[in-house]
Amino acid sequence: MLWLALFFPDWPLQALFRSQKHEAPLAVAARQRLVALDAAALAQGVRPGQGLADALAVAPALLVRTQSTEAEHAALRDAAGCALRYTPQVVLEADGLLLEIAGSARLFGGTEQLLCRLRTDLASAGFHALTACAPTPRAARWLALASPGQCVDDVEDLRATLAALPLRVMEASERIKALLADSGLRSVGEVMRLPRNGLAQRDASEVRRLIDQALGRQPDPRPYFKAPRYFDSRLELPAPRHDADVLLFVANRLLNACCSRLSAAHAGIEHCLLLLEHEHHPATPLALTLGTPSRDARRMILLVREHLARIVLPEAVSAIRLQATDWISLTGRSDDLFGPQTPSPDRRREACSTLLEQLRARLGRDAVYTMSARADHRPECAQRACEPGAAETGYSSGKRPLWLLSPPQLLKLVNGCPWYDGPVQLISGPERIESGWWDSDGSTDPCGKEALRDYFVAVGRNHARLWIYRDHAPPHRWYLHGLFA
Amino acid sequence: MATLSPTPLPHPSLWRADEAAIPCPPGVPTGHAALDTELPGGGWPPGEMTELLTDCSGHGELSLLLPLLVRSSQNEGWIAWVAPPHIPGIPALASAGLRTPRLLIVRASTTGERAWALRQALRSDACTAVVGWLDHVDTALLRRLQLAVRETTMPLLLFRSAHSAHTASPAALRLQLSAGAPGVLRLDILKRWGRPASRPLHLSLEDSLSPSSGFPVRQQMAGARIGAPPAQALIA
Repeated sequence: MLWLALFFPDWPLQALFRSQKHEAPLAVAARQRLVALDAAALAQGVRPGQGLADALAVAPALLVRTQSTEAEHAALRDAAGCALRYTPQVVLEADGLLLEIAGSARLFGGTEQLLCRLRTDLASAGFHALTACAPTPRAARWLALASPGQCVDDVEDLRATLAALPLRVMEASERIKALLADSGLRSVGEVMRLPRNGLAQRDASEVRRLIDQALGRQPDPRPYFKAPRYFDSRLELPAPRHDADVLLFVANRLLNACCSRLSAAHAGIEHCLLLLEHEHHPATPLALTLGTPSRDARRMILLVREHLARIVLPEAVSAIRLQATDWISLTGRSDDLFGPQTPSPDRRREACSTLLEQLRARLGRDAVYTMSARADHRPECAQRACEPGAAETGYSSGKRPLWLLSPPQLLKLVNGCPWYDGPVQLISGPERIESGWWDSDGSTDPCGKEALRDYFVAVGRNHARLWIYRDHAPPHRWYLHGLFA
Repeated sequence: MATLSPTPLPHPSLWRADEAAIPCPPGVPTGHAALDTELPGGGWPPGEMTELLTDCSGHGELSLLLPLLVRSSQNEGWIAWVAPPHIPGIPALASAGLRTPRLLIVRASTTGERAWALRQALRSDACTAVVGWLDHVDTALLRRLQLAVRETTMPLLLFRSAHSAHTASPAALRLQLSAGAPGVLRLDILKRWGRPASRPLHLSLEDSLSPSSGFPVRQQMAGARIGAPPAQALIA
C-alpha cells in the first residue's frame, strides 16, 4: 500500500474563492472572526483570529466571506473528482484527500509523474494542495501537514520519520493535546516513548491508537468516496461581474472539474447546462450541445466563448452553476501514430462535429447545413438543405448549372427576346420539364408548385452561360434559373 | 511564358530573371494543365491564400475549382463553402464527381462573421477544402486569414470582387477571372511567387461544362440535344 495525502492549506479560503482570478486581499470569517487569510491580506497586516471589524479597519479592501460547510463539502467532492482519475480509492478528509496509489503509480509513470499530473488537474479546477506519501494513510496525512513533499516507501523507516513531527499533527482531542503539552512533550517521537499503561491511566490511550495506526500496527479502515454519475456544481463569484473573460475563467474551472469526473467514470456528455445566476433576475441558461459524447473541456469552453459573445446579460453574474446529468459511457482512445498531420478517421469525425457546433453556436442553427439530393424533376425540388450527415448523394439529370438562383429571376423582354444585361441567345434546348401537378398551388412548401417549363442553355452578355426557362402558363414569361459558373 | 529572344547574354555573371530559382513547395494540382505550368509549384499554393477576383458569373469560375474539390471530396471531412452568392447546384456537382454530402454550406451575413467562419474551418482538422466569398475586407482581416491558413497544408480559395485588384493583399496568388472567347475563361495572374506573369491565360472549360465528363448522364431532353453550335439561335 502506498497512500498519497493531499492537504489543502487554508481550506475555507480555497473552497470559497476557487473562482477568484485576480490577487486581492481575501478572508473567510466564522462568527465575526477571521478563520483563513490569503497572503495579500497577511501582508496588509490582517491576522487570523482577528475580529471582523478590526480586520476591516486595517484593510478596508478586504473581501470577506462567511465560512460555509456546504461549499467546502462541494469543493472537496470536486477535488475528489479530479483525484478519481488517478485511483478509484479516494478518501475524503475534512480539508484534504487520501489516495491509495500503489496500484496506479506504475500506470502513470511513477509517483512523481502521477503527482505532477494530479497537481496540474487540481490547479485547473482551482485547488492548491500540499502532498506526502507513506505506507499508511495516517502517516501520509501527518507528513503532508508537517513536512510536505516527503515520500516514505518503507514501513521500517516510518518510525524515525514520524518521530520528528510536531505534536499538532495528531488528530487527538484538544484535552489530550493540552495534557501532553503541559507534560513538556513537543514531538510525536516523545509521545511514542511513553509507556502504554501510563497513557491509559491518564485516559489518553487514544494517542497510542493513533500512533499504532500511523505505524501500521493497527488496522485503519477508511470508507472510499463514491462519485455519483451526475455533475452539479456551483461557483460563486467574489463580486457580480459582467466581463466575458471572468465568466469564462469560472466556467473553465467548472468544466475542468466536470471533465475530470467524467474521465474517471469513463463517461462523456452530449449536452450540459450552464446557469448564469443573477442577484435580481432569474438565471440565464446556456445550453451546450456537443453533437458527439465528449469529455474534452477545451471543446466545451470554445462553445461557451461563442455563446457568451452572442447573449445579452440582463445583469451582472453573481454565480455560475454547471449541471451535467446524462452521462454516456465513452471508452478511451489511442493517440494517432503519425500525429495530428494525418488525423485518424475517428479524430476527423470528431473534428467535423466540433466545427459544426462551433459555427452553429455563433451563426445560428440554420446557417450551417449540407445539401441533399431528391428524386424530383423540378430543379428547385431536386435538392434541399438538410442536417449535416443526413444528406443523400446527388445524381446528374441532364445538363445542370453549378449555381441555382432562388427564386428564379424574371427576365424582361426586348423585341420579344429575353434580355439579361443584354440580348440572350439560346444555344441549346428546349428541355421540357413538366412535373409536380400533384402539388397544389396553396402549398406552403416553396417548391410545392406545378412546373410546366421549357429550359434552354443560353449565352448572355460577355458569353456568360445561363440556364433560362420559359413558362408554359400565359403570359409565357422568361426566367433565369441558373448560371453555368 | 516570357518570350525573350534566346540570344546568349554577353556576361556570365548576368542572370535572366526567369532562370532564378524560386524555393516554393509543390502545389496542389489544379486539374488544368495549362494553369499548372504557370503556377509556381505546379498548382494552388498549399498553406497559402489564393484570391480569385471576379465580377462575372457564368464563365466557368466555379468549374476552375471543380477538379480540386472533386479530389478533396474523396477524403472524409467537410468541403466548406463560406457565404456562396447562390445555391450550389447539387446535380451538376454530382455529375462532376463531387461527393455532395461532404459539402458544408455556411451562411454568414457580415464580413467579420465570414472571416471568422473561414478561420474556424481552417483551424479545425475537419476540412479538406475551404472556399470563401469575401467582400469589403480590410488587410488586417486578410492577414489573420493568412496566418490561419499557414497552419494548414491546404489552399484557401477566396472569391473577391474585381475592383479589389487595385488594393494590396497578402495572398500568395492572385488571379483575375474574366470572360474570354465563348466557353473560355480568361485568367490574368496578378501576383504569384517568382517572376510576374506577362500574358493572360485562356482556359477552355467547355469539358467541365458539358455533361459528358464525370458520371454517365441520363438524358431527359425533350427537344434538341446539348452541344449544339453556339452560334445557332433557337428562339422558341
